[in-house]
Amino acid sequence: MSVEVALEPELDRLEALWSDGLADAYQAYLPGVDQPKLALAAALIEVGVRLQGLGGRAAPPTTLLVGDLCLARGSRILADHAPLAVQVAFARAIESLSSAAAAEEPAPASTRELLLQSLGAAR
Amino acid sequence: MSPNRLEFSTTSPTQFVDITPRIQEAISRSGLRDGRVHLQSLHTTLGLAVNENEPLLLRDFEGLLERLAPAHAGYEHDDFARRFEIRVDEPVNGHAHCRQLLLSAFATLLVEEGRLVLGRWQSVFAVELDGPRQRQLAIQLEGVFATNAREPAESLVELELARQLLVDPEPIASPMRRLIEAGGKRLRPRLVQLTSAIGPRTDPLRAAELAAAVELLHNATLIHDDYVDESTHRRGRPTVAAAEGAERAIAVGDYYFAKATRLIAQIGNPGVTSAVAEALEAICASQIDDVALRGTYPGDRESYLRVIRGKTASLFAAACASGALLSEANEDVVAALRRYGDLLGTAFQMADDVIDFSPSSGKTVGLDIRQRVLSLPLIYAAEDRVVGPEVRRLLAGTLGDTEVGRVTELVTSTDALPRVRREAQALIDEAVRELEVVELDGLRPVLVSVAKSAVDRSS
Repeated sequence: MSVEVALEPELDRLEALWSDGLADAYQAYLPGVDQPKLALAAALIEVGVRLQGLGGRAAPPTTLLVGDLCLARGSRILADHAPLAVQVAFARAIESLSSAAAAEEPAPASTRELLLQSLGAAR
Repeated sequence: MSPNRLEFSTTSPTQFVDITPRIQEAISRSGLRDGRVHLQSLHTTLGLAVNENEPLLLRDFEGLLERLAPAHAGYEHDDFARRFEIRVDEPVNGHAHCRQLLLSAFATLLVEEGRLVLGRWQSVFAVELDGPRQRQLAIQLEGVFATNAREPAESLVELELARQLLVDPEPIASPMRRLIEAGGKRLRPRLVQLTSAIGPRTDPLRAAELAAAVELLHNATLIHDDYVDESTHRRGRPTVAAAEGAERAIAVGDYYFAKATRLIAQIGNPGVTSAVAEALEAICASQIDDVALRGTYPGDRESYLRVIRGKTASLFAAACASGALLSEANEDVVAALRRYGDLLGTAFQMADDVIDFSPSSGKTVGLDIRQRVLSLPLIYAAEDRVVGPEVRRLLAGTLGDTEVGRVTELVTSTDALPRVRREAQALIDEAVRELEVVELDGLRPVLVSVAKSAVDRSS
C-alpha cells in the first residue's frame, strides 16, 4: 500500500514503519475520522507504544527512540488538527496504558480500542 | 534593599571615572525594575557627580577644582606638626578634602523599567581627588524587583508540580517525585513564567500550570534518555531505569509525556499546544540523530549543533514562545523570544559540555566521554593538530577510567574549553540582542540575567 501524498511529510524518518504495521493501523482508524491525519496520528501512537514495548518487555534503546518519535509526531499532529476533546482523550488513553504498565497490571483495553474511543471523543 | 560595593582603581591624582555602565550592570544583575539606586562614596577624597562625559569638559572641571582649591595653596590639614596621631604614610591632601566639599559624597538615581533614568548627555562619575588609589562606593538598590515577583511565582510552580504528582498513581508518581525533588535548575519553567508576564494578558496561575507541565515533559524525556544512555545516576540519585528497570522507566516517561501534553492542551491556547508539541517532536528526532552519531564519535561541529538545537534548545525556545503566547504578546515579541530561547538553549548545552571537564562541578569528570555523549570541546580536541590523533584513537577503543582520564587531560591541554566558552558567550550576546528590538515590559534585565547565568555557572 502506498502512502497518500498528503501524509508523506508526516512520515519523515518513519517511512520504514509504513509497511511494518503503520499502514494497517492507519486503515483501521480511517473509517472513524473526518481527517485522514487524525487516523495517522492514532496509528503512529499505536505503533509507537508497541515499538517501545509498553506493558511488555522494554524495547532496546534505538527502538524506544523510534517509538518516542512516533508518539511525539502523533501528538503534534493532534495538536495541529484535532479538537481539544480528542487531544485530551488521546492523552488519557496513553496515561491509562502507561499507568497499568507501571503497576504491572493488565491494560484496561487494547491500545486500538482506547484510541478508537479517543477519536470519537469530539462527537 | 540590596546592598553592594562597587570597587575600582584610579590612575591619576584627579580623575573622572564614568561609572554609569557599572551601575547599570548592578541594576540588571539585581533585577530592579522600578525604584532608586543610592550611591555613597566611602572616602573623604572621592566625590560623585552627574555630568557630561566629554574629555575637554572634564579638563575644564579639573581646572575649576584647581582654581577653587589649588593643590599647593597651603592647607592646615597638611601641617603634620600640628596634628595628632599621624600615619607614617599620611598624604598631603588638604586640597583634595576641600575639593570633595565642593562635590557630593552621595547620589540617588532613579530607575525605570530596569534602566537608569539619565538625560541624553548625562553620565555618573566617581571623581578621584587624591589618586591613584583603590576606591569603593556603597551601592544600594530599592524598589520593585522582578526577582521579588519571581519568588512566589517559583513557589507556584513547585506547588503545581506537587499537586499534579499527588493525584497520580503511586507506581508512576513515586519515581517522578524522586527526580523532581532531587533538584534541577528549573530554567524552562522559569522562562515560561517570565515570558508569560510580557503580553497584555498575565495570569500567574495559568502560567504556573504551563510551566509545571513543561518541567514534567522535560523530566519525562530525561527518564527515557537515561535508559538510552545507560546512565546510572541523575542529580545524584539512581535513574528510574537503574533503580526500577527499563519497563518502569518507559511507562513513567510515557505517562508524563501524555499527562504534560494533556495539561498543556487543557490550558486552551492552540498556539501554546503546538509550540510545545513541535519542540517535543524535535527532541525525539534529535535523540535518534544523537545515538546514530555515536558511530562516528565525537562527530563534527555541524552535526553537534543540529542535535543540540533539537535536543536542548527546542524546549528552551518553546518555553519562551509559549509563555509569551499565553500572555497574548504580539507576534514580533513571540518570534524574538523564540530566537532568544533557541540561542540560550544552545549556549546552555555548550556550557554543560565545558562543565563536564571541571573537577569543581561536583559531577564526575568526563561522564560525557564515558557515555559517548556529543560534546563540543571533545570535537575541537579531536580536530586539534597536536592532540587530535591520540584523542581519536582513544575514543575509537574501549573507554575505561585510564582512557577517560587521558582524553580529559588532552582536551584540557588544548584551546577547546576556552573556545567553547567563547562560542557560548557569543550566543548569549546574540540572544541578548534579540531582546533589544522588542518591547518587553521591563523584563529585559531579568531575561538578560537568566541568559548570562546559563553560561556563567559551575554546575
